[in-house]
Amino acid sequence: MIGKWIGKRMVMGLIVLLIVSFLSFFIMQAAPGDPATAFYGGNAQTLTATEKERITRAYALDRPVAEQYVAWLGETVKGNLGISYKEGRPVFEIIRERLPNTLLLFGVTMFCIVLGSFWLGTVAGMKANSIWDKGLSTFSIATSSIPPFWLGILFIYIFAVSLGILPSSGSGDVGGNGGMVDKIRHLMMPASVIIVTHVGIYARFLQESIKRENGQYYVKVARANGVMERSIRNGIVRNASIPYLNYIAMTIPSFFGGSIIVESLFAWSGIGQLTVKAVVTKDFPLLMGSIMVTGILVVITLFIVDLIMYAIDPKLRKGGIR
Amino acid sequence: MIEVRDLSIQIKGKHITHHIDFTITRGNITSLIGESGSGKSMTVSALLGMLPDDAKVSGSIMYEGRNLLDASDQEMESVRKQDVFTIFQDALNSFNPSVKMGRQLYAFSGERVGDSLPVFNEKMHVILEKLGLSWEVVEQYPFQLSGGMLQRCMIACAFYVEPALLIADEPTSALDMVLQKEFIQLLIRLNEEKGTTIFLITHDLDIVAKAAHEMVVMQQGRIVETGKVETIFSHPGHAYTKRLLKSRF
Repeated sequence: MIGKWIGKRMVMGLIVLLIVSFLSFFIMQAAPGDPATAFYGGNAQTLTATEKERITRAYALDRPVAEQYVAWLGETVKGNLGISYKEGRPVFEIIRERLPNTLLLFGVTMFCIVLGSFWLGTVAGMKANSIWDKGLSTFSIATSSIPPFWLGILFIYIFAVSLGILPSSGSGDVGGNGGMVDKIRHLMMPASVIIVTHVGIYARFLQESIKRENGQYYVKVARANGVMERSIRNGIVRNASIPYLNYIAMTIPSFFGGSIIVESLFAWSGIGQLTVKAVVTKDFPLLMGSIMVTGILVVITLFIVDLIMYAIDPKLRKGGIR
Repeated sequence: MIEVRDLSIQIKGKHITHHIDFTITRGNITSLIGESGSGKSMTVSALLGMLPDDAKVSGSIMYEGRNLLDASDQEMESVRKQDVFTIFQDALNSFNPSVKMGRQLYAFSGERVGDSLPVFNEKMHVILEKLGLSWEVVEQYPFQLSGGMLQRCMIACAFYVEPALLIADEPTSALDMVLQKEFIQLLIRLNEEKGTTIFLITHDLDIVAKAAHEMVVMQQGRIVETGKVETIFSHPGHAYTKRLLKSRF
């Protein structure tokens, strides 16, 4: 049963990745500008027609787009993501250097967001009409309306420029020997920006879900019969967390989109910043590589969320709508 | 056992019940009958101290020498936990859909009376068997069982708890005829075997005729007639009761 379910999810994940790669590849080809010129860098005017043709041919840019896509896909499946135009190194190697930073930022922020929003949402949802209940509604509207890049600039102004206690950019000491403490110091601002702008809205969603669950028939029946409040609350939180997890799953892709902006703002050396760089320099292999890696991260995260849902929702396991 | 005097409930300016009086006699099955929207369920909510926050209520509900309307939330909680068991209309939604039945039956019965899990298992096993349910239900989720089975699970808890008062709010309206009959038999059994006082809310006169000793007839938030079932059936006093009885035959 579970094997079949996992298999189905994996096939679906692969289809999603295929669609993502197809769309990104073709959209990129439609973008204005000439990759050969971009590859040359420096002053494009000085590039002669012969040199341009040579570059174009060397990278097979003169072939039809569909043919390029099939070739790219064939190599990617074999694990070869190509060579970066700009750096002249394998894309895989560049991504491997950047991935730990992105995973660190994503892991820390997601952990804090889930922990914080779960706690806030549960307290506010359980105490209807309390100060928590009303306070969270206001807090979530306020924090989710703040653009992360603006909050980032504000943080840089306060903590880096005025107080001078945190580094304004980068993901570690230049020499790379700052150690754990240095890493954390660099991580603090970008992570806080993502956490602050997301925790309220997730908590708000759980709060509403808990309030709705609190009004369910089975809760009334349990209260009328003196079932222990602890058992009732556990039941409510468990059921309310199913739509909450769904909401997290739904917003994961845009969450990654948002972290690209934050990574660029703080020059956090992760996949997000790499993607932006690849777009600017029209470094197609690198761009495709980073999009695919982001896609894989999204698919894996969704798979984990699905697994958790599978564990807590018996209706999924038993396939049981009456 | 319970004396309701001059009970009026008002919600958002609308009168739900008007100065109603009735008595639930210890050891009897008392039935409250009336059409939908006559205020039966709100009366039950008042008895349980579970009226909505915006409800205004006056009068008294005397239970063992105290007025339940004056009781604090904690006192009402302890009454609900120790003295009363309530079975509601919609059995399909009476249990948490994502928790196994065993855990929930324990919360409704064993845990309530302070029994340990092994004691509960032993006692509940016997009760379920007596009610024609297999022990396997404890391993299942509510959505895997039928409405009739779930309602029997509820009454199994009532058998376990042996409450001073069992309130059954239209317990059979979601069941088919055969299951209705079976369920009413179980209520009668509980009353006869354990001496449980039962307050049975229904809109079905056949059920009253079969099960109840006394009846209270309610129409549009007012009590129009109370008395012994046989007396009212043979000599109905109020026009509404007469109409009800006529529609039955």
